[in-house]
Amino acid sequence: MTLMKTMTTTLGAAALLASTATTALAVDLQFFFPVAVGGKAADTIQALTDEYAAANPDVKIDAVYAGSYQDTITKTLTAVRGGTPPQLSVILSVDMFTLIEEDAIIPFDGLAKSDADKAWLTSFYPAFMDNSMTGGKTYGIPFQRSTPVLYWNKEAFKEAGLDPETPPATWEEQIAFGKKLTKRDANGNVTQWGMRIPSSGFPYWLFQGLTTQNDVILANDAGNKTNFDDPKVVEALQYLVDLSAKHEVMQPGIIEWGSTPKAFFEGQTAMMWTTTGNLTNVRDNAPFDFGVGMLPANKRRGAPTGGGNFYIFKDSTDEQKAASFEFIKWITAPEQAAKWTIATGYVAPRPDAWETPAMKQYVADFPPALVARDQLEYAVAELSTYQNQRITTILNDALEAAITGQKAPAAALEEAQAEADRILADYR
Amino acid sequence: MSRTALDRWLNTTGAWALALLWFLPLIFAVWTAVHPGEFATRFAPLAPLTGENFVNAWNAAPFARYFLNSFLLVTFILIGQFVLCTLAAYAFARFTFPGSGVLFALVLLQLLVMPDILIVENYATMRMLGLIDTIAAIGLPYIASGFGIFLLRQTFKTVPKELDEAARVEGAGPLTVLWRVYIPLAKPTYLAYGLVSVSHHWNNFLWPLIVTNSVETRPVTVGLSVFASVDQGIDWSIINAATLMTSGPLLIAFMLFQRQFVQSFMRAGIR
Repeated sequence: MTLMKTMTTTLGAAALLASTATTALAVDLQFFFPVAVGGKAADTIQALTDEYAAANPDVKIDAVYAGSYQDTITKTLTAVRGGTPPQLSVILSVDMFTLIEEDAIIPFDGLAKSDADKAWLTSFYPAFMDNSMTGGKTYGIPFQRSTPVLYWNKEAFKEAGLDPETPPATWEEQIAFGKKLTKRDANGNVTQWGMRIPSSGFPYWLFQGLTTQNDVILANDAGNKTNFDDPKVVEALQYLVDLSAKHEVMQPGIIEWGSTPKAFFEGQTAMMWTTTGNLTNVRDNAPFDFGVGMLPANKRRGAPTGGGNFYIFKDSTDEQKAASFEFIKWITAPEQAAKWTIATGYVAPRPDAWETPAMKQYVADFPPALVARDQLEYAVAELSTYQNQRITTILNDALEAAITGQKAPAAALEEAQAEADRILADYR
Repeated sequence: MSRTALDRWLNTTGAWALALLWFLPLIFAVWTAVHPGEFATRFAPLAPLTGENFVNAWNAAPFARYFLNSFLLVTFILIGQFVLCTLAAYAFARFTFPGSGVLFALVLLQLLVMPDILIVENYATMRMLGLIDTIAAIGLPYIASGFGIFLLRQTFKTVPKELDEAARVEGAGPLTVLWRVYIPLAKPTYLAYGLVSVSHHWNNFLWPLIVTNSVETRPVTVGLSVFASVDQGIDWSIINAATLMTSGPLLIAFMLFQRQFVQSFMRAGIR
């Protein structure tokens, strides 16, 4: 009875405290997030925000699913122009310049007042920060970030007389392995291709893997000059085209992203380049032993990063901005980042997340998860410029024209550069 | 074989060929939806059947609520369109007033404007009205449909003036004439237009996604989009199960009312 009473009083007091706290400091935050890796990701985000709300009753977070990355930027920009922006959002890291140009977001530097906060800003992998900073200011905080890696079918390697534990390390090896792995039936029809680099929709992303390996950068840090017609870029495109046209180790024409994992599972290809976002999918569905490795090197190792960052929007109250900042700090903290990585396959964006017990357990069970992290050392910023949508469309069109054989690589890239120059001239 | 027999034979074969072609994607969708994932691109007649894809799809998003929202949305839009377009079309068809030509030209102009261009403007308007994140906000921009006004005006114009005059002689006012004469005669047009409108708004995605934020207001298409996970590769079985599930109500409705629809389209065309 007494115990009961004490409990009721304590609970009542706590409730009273909580309610006064709510009235005094209540902050409403709206948070848009995209989903690019299936329904589970949305559930995980919702669970994380609920957990935060439970621990912080003075902050109310409304997590809003906003479709694909494309839909999310459209929805966000519409809301910004309509005068009701969200307080925070996860949007592609490459949309940073677009958001700056719209005057929609603010840098994190102004919100990081204490030394601890300032240190926090520098606690992420530098490869992820390349796409998150410009002009010395930090506009994005890495969250659902990825990078492409090489997956290979160990059984197919054994069958072809290759060492199943060793993926190709160089461009030449990739072709040599590919030739051994490509199988044809009696009529000369291919039953298993050597490799697969998907090229539908946004071919520029994996192509950027090739250009980085060829030691050339596609655009400058200021986002106002591209290098599409550099001879090394042309060489990289020639290599990609030759994989099908000359060496015949890859299916010719445009290769679909969406069906690539399936083709890998069904043995239509022995190797594939695709995002780490597929790790969990491949782990669950590949009916054979598979390996995950870094992309092969040419002049150097290299891969782009990809995926989404957190942004804080300008048109909110100071309290909202501060609360958004705190929430982002919490959700990117090691424990939460580890949960997120384990649920989705995205690369945890900071070194200390990999030191948490949960993450150590995950990596011990599934060592391939480490490949993407280790590759970050060689990774570069994903192509991002002012007028990003237009510039990447120009490059994508040029790549598709070369892949389908409508244009020679050099000509296609020269035209793309001229077109990009015309658009970016205003930003220099 | 006589000429007419050959003709008929050609017609029938052509019709069957086209029908099969139209039906193939649907067959593929059904096939992948009722079989486990590994049979998605492989045909094996004895592949095990499963309802699991539907269960998984149903559980991936709050579909029950989404279905209710979609239903409310299309009903709201359809009723609004019928009322507004009928009144506007009646005015344009049977009344002469200053500026009617210019106004009608403006209505026709609406047919030329892609709704997607107006997203930002519409959003700002909805915000001014305080309607962001409501079902009304999804529907309102579509209620004054230029196409509906145009279609009904053309139909009303074909109604013989004599019927109108006879009703007036009997003492009917303009609204009674509309209700007793014009609307009954335009029934096939309403049916045809209603079908187009319902299927369009049932399938609309971008605008509802932008203007709504909560489960309580979002339609099925937003739920469906959760499955378009490009980064992870597409799981055809589950996406097809979800597609069949969300388009199911429309397909069933069309099959039930098929005869009426076809007849109404024919009558609407012949008049």
